[in-house]
Amino acid sequence: MSVAQGLLGHRSPRRTWTDRVAVAALAASVIVAVGVLTLVLGYTIARGARAISFDFLTHSMKGVGPLDATGGVYHSIIGTVEQVLIASLLSIPLGLLAAIYIVEYGTNRFAFAVRFFVDVMTGIPSIVAGLFVFSFWVLGLHQGFSGFAAGMALSVLMLPVVIRASEEMLRLVPDHLREASYALGIPRWRTIISVVLPTASAGLTTAVVLAIARVTGETAPLLVTAFGFESIKTNPFDGPQSALPLYVWSQAASAFDVAVRRAWAAALTLVVVVLALIALARLLTRRDRLGVTQ
Amino acid sequence: MAREPRLSATSRRGDAVFRAVAGSAGGLVLVLIAAIAIFLIVQAAPAFRRAGLSFFTERQWFPDATPARFGVGALAFGTLVSSLLALAISLPIAVGSALFTTEIAPPRLGRWIGHLVDLLAAVPSVIYGLWGFLFLVPRLVPAERWLDNTIGFIPIFHSRHGIYGRSLFAAGVILAIMILPIIAAISREVFRQAPATHREAAMALGATRWETIRYAVLPFSRSGIIGAAMLGLGRALGETIAVALVLAASYDVKIHLVEPGGNTVAANIANKFGEAGLGGREALIASGLVLFAITLLVNIAARAVVYRTTRLAEAKA
Amino acid sequence: MAHTKTQSVKSRSVPVLLAAVLAGLALVASACGSDTNKSKTAKASGTTAKVSCASGTISGAGATFPATIVQQWIKDYGAACPGATVNYQPVGSGAGIQQFSAGTVDFGASDAVMKPEEQATAEAKGGPVMHVPWTAGAVAVMFNISGVKELKLSGETIAGIFAGTITKWNDPKIKAENAGATLPETGIQVIHRSDGSGTTAVFTSYLTTVAPAVWTAGAAKDVPWPTGQGAKGSDGVTAAVKQTDGAIGYAEQSYAAANSLSTVDVKNEAGSYVKPSAKGVSAALASAEIPADLKVKINYKPTEAAAYPISTTTWALVFQKYGDAAKGALVKSFLTYALGAGQDAAERLYYAPLPKDLQTKAQAAVASLQT
Repeated sequence: MSVAQGLLGHRSPRRTWTDRVAVAALAASVIVAVGVLTLVLGYTIARGARAISFDFLTHSMKGVGPLDATGGVYHSIIGTVEQVLIASLLSIPLGLLAAIYIVEYGTNRFAFAVRFFVDVMTGIPSIVAGLFVFSFWVLGLHQGFSGFAAGMALSVLMLPVVIRASEEMLRLVPDHLREASYALGIPRWRTIISVVLPTASAGLTTAVVLAIARVTGETAPLLVTAFGFESIKTNPFDGPQSALPLYVWSQAASAFDVAVRRAWAAALTLVVVVLALIALARLLTRRDRLGVTQ
Repeated sequence: MAREPRLSATSRRGDAVFRAVAGSAGGLVLVLIAAIAIFLIVQAAPAFRRAGLSFFTERQWFPDATPARFGVGALAFGTLVSSLLALAISLPIAVGSALFTTEIAPPRLGRWIGHLVDLLAAVPSVIYGLWGFLFLVPRLVPAERWLDNTIGFIPIFHSRHGIYGRSLFAAGVILAIMILPIIAAISREVFRQAPATHREAAMALGATRWETIRYAVLPFSRSGIIGAAMLGLGRALGETIAVALVLAASYDVKIHLVEPGGNTVAANIANKFGEAGLGGREALIASGLVLFAITLLVNIAARAVVYRTTRLAEAKA
Repeated sequence: MAHTKTQSVKSRSVPVLLAAVLAGLALVASACGSDTNKSKTAKASGTTAKVSCASGTISGAGATFPATIVQQWIKDYGAACPGATVNYQPVGSGAGIQQFSAGTVDFGASDAVMKPEEQATAEAKGGPVMHVPWTAGAVAVMFNISGVKELKLSGETIAGIFAGTITKWNDPKIKAENAGATLPETGIQVIHRSDGSGTTAVFTSYLTTVAPAVWTAGAAKDVPWPTGQGAKGSDGVTAAVKQTDGAIGYAEQSYAAANSLSTVDVKNEAGSYVKPSAKGVSAALASAEIPADLKVKINYKPTEAAAYPISTTTWALVFQKYGDAAKGALVKSFLTYALGAGQDAAERLYYAPLPKDLQTKAQAAVASLQT
């Protein structure tokens, strides 16, 4: 039976039935996907909300005994903020400049090589990035564990993401804007700074925020670089430091109920932070859509 | 590409400076990547030399013992099996939900569903590990028992001692949840690229929604879906923390997937780095490089496939 | 076009807005937190003995075996000495030894003495290393069988279970020792450590000593386990046993006690079935050999009637002389506390105080620490 014959003929009951079954199956997969999301987020929020409190968010784990129900994530929040900040400072300027080079100057083999190897780097397993900083910096250069080492490991993961996403945002800027600028006699470098970058800025900000959100939740590299610490440590260069994902990891597999409660509360904190960053990124994208695409 | 204008000398100097700055950023990135690669290879080499070919077959992990016995035999098996299982579970659901989003749902609902499924990607992996270990694994036990009771004659669904739990099957399910959003997002893009003319023609001929999908969308999406699946697979291969929390470590080639036990390369690194001496670290980096190589190949192949599909679609449209 | 103009103003103000929000958050966050955690659980030592304090920060890492009591010591020492911050990461004896040798932590902790090559690596880094026994405890064999609260097992039977030769709870060998109990048909799920563990070293040494024909996988921090699944850390093993019906595992007694898990009554050399307890540990350690370097050699076949055979001491690993004088002083002060007033906390927390002569020798070793 040819397609045309089947399509041109009446809607036989069998065709209608097949259609209904197929659509139901597709709808079922949506329900499964969304259902799983509800299970994961809902359970985390439910368990976390039970254990979270203002005290939890403002205290560290210093002096908390093994059976104590007190203690909190303040030191981990500080650690995460500092480590992500260091990672951002290391990878965003460098990544943005590299993306500008690839897009604005990149017709030669050098730019192609940069693109290719950046692609390679996006696939690096996060634990391998951590292991690199561990072998090279923590042990090799005898620097020991630190928040800075964690920031470096995170930047290894962040850099390729920033470059690729920025590259795409810069490519979205229409050529005729550049041409108009050149037509007015504005040199290339001023065009990039005054025309291309501002036009892409909302998209670039989105890309950066998404990269930050992704890196905030990374645990594996932190295991071997920040190592973990129970008290508040504000100096990321001086010895081991805690971080939100590390905190969840260390409390999670514990047999003690007090620790598991804290793990859920920390998990909720982490999820809220990451989701807030992503919501911010979505908000920026929508504002951009209202403006640029004309 | 816009052509540069003719400029004065000062402007040309400004351009040269800026180009140099941007170019050195690109160069620095290259140098960094090369340095990382070289450092890791140099660190891993002694381990490869020490183990020889047995690196790929040996199942135990005692790199610091004398004599050192270590290899990724059991680890590679666990990595591949859990990732492939994750793909098998996740692909139909991801593709199904992507199809529903692009072809059946009204645009606004479709966008919302897309956002929701994308949220799955936002959840950090340590939380998947925590949730998997405390919520999912105990609830998977009845399912695993049911599988054993109904199709337990197939070895992978049979547990020799009637014990279930932190198994490669559970790891596969968690990984499936984690790679679902990636496959779904790319599949949505792939389906959107299906040529509108074919879709319109099918509708004009009175095709049902399923027939439109079957004849006008899916034929053009095959390689794109393959690409999406491979990217999802690449992600599953490298996942560390969720697997480390969910899987009960054991160094054997665990054919019985519903039995607790098994291990993956990434989880092994996370578990063993702290107690590794020099030999141990070299062995761990060596295993990490093997994993990276596999992930790299899968990702490159996937990108080539997806790139080709989108280009073809653009040409056809 | 007016359109583009307003858009470019909007898009330029967004990054500024973002930066302002983040800066604001950072400011608020940095003003808010506190390191003071007051808890309702009573202090370990009732007496307010004078603690000679030092200040500064030290980081240690190592065994999960003593983690419960070490955390209590840190809490009590910290309460008495507010200027001091002691941090301890329970990462396993193997990792503790490695991190101590690499110099990434100031002191280590292990239930297994350092191997000669491990000690050589550490001494190359920081000079002579001292093993200071700081507490003792029982390796409890915990189980989770529905309806069974008491279980009596001999060393051979335990070895058989962990070697995988005994696979069901109603095996005749187990039934023979537990006439009164109703043992189910459930399969035995062995839980062991997946990381390099001093507790594993002690447990496997015990098995090798009492049942060499049954347990052939050797004695070390990590062995090729014939059966079972691995969990990370003592608390990982405890959590796995708690969660799995039919499971059996091993960890320091405090983990089993804190999670209300039943423990096996182990048959000792005198023929009696003994529960893990401070008394049992002390009785077992009475026949331990104490060399000058304090690397206590445990006797796994103690003949005392009350002895719990799977007992051990556990050590803190420190340097004889620290390059950083302040760190050395804090290590010395903290260990002095642990070996002094800290020993009072042992029994309450399901550990055992060090035998008197061992305690004296350990205190002498700490006193010899040059700062």
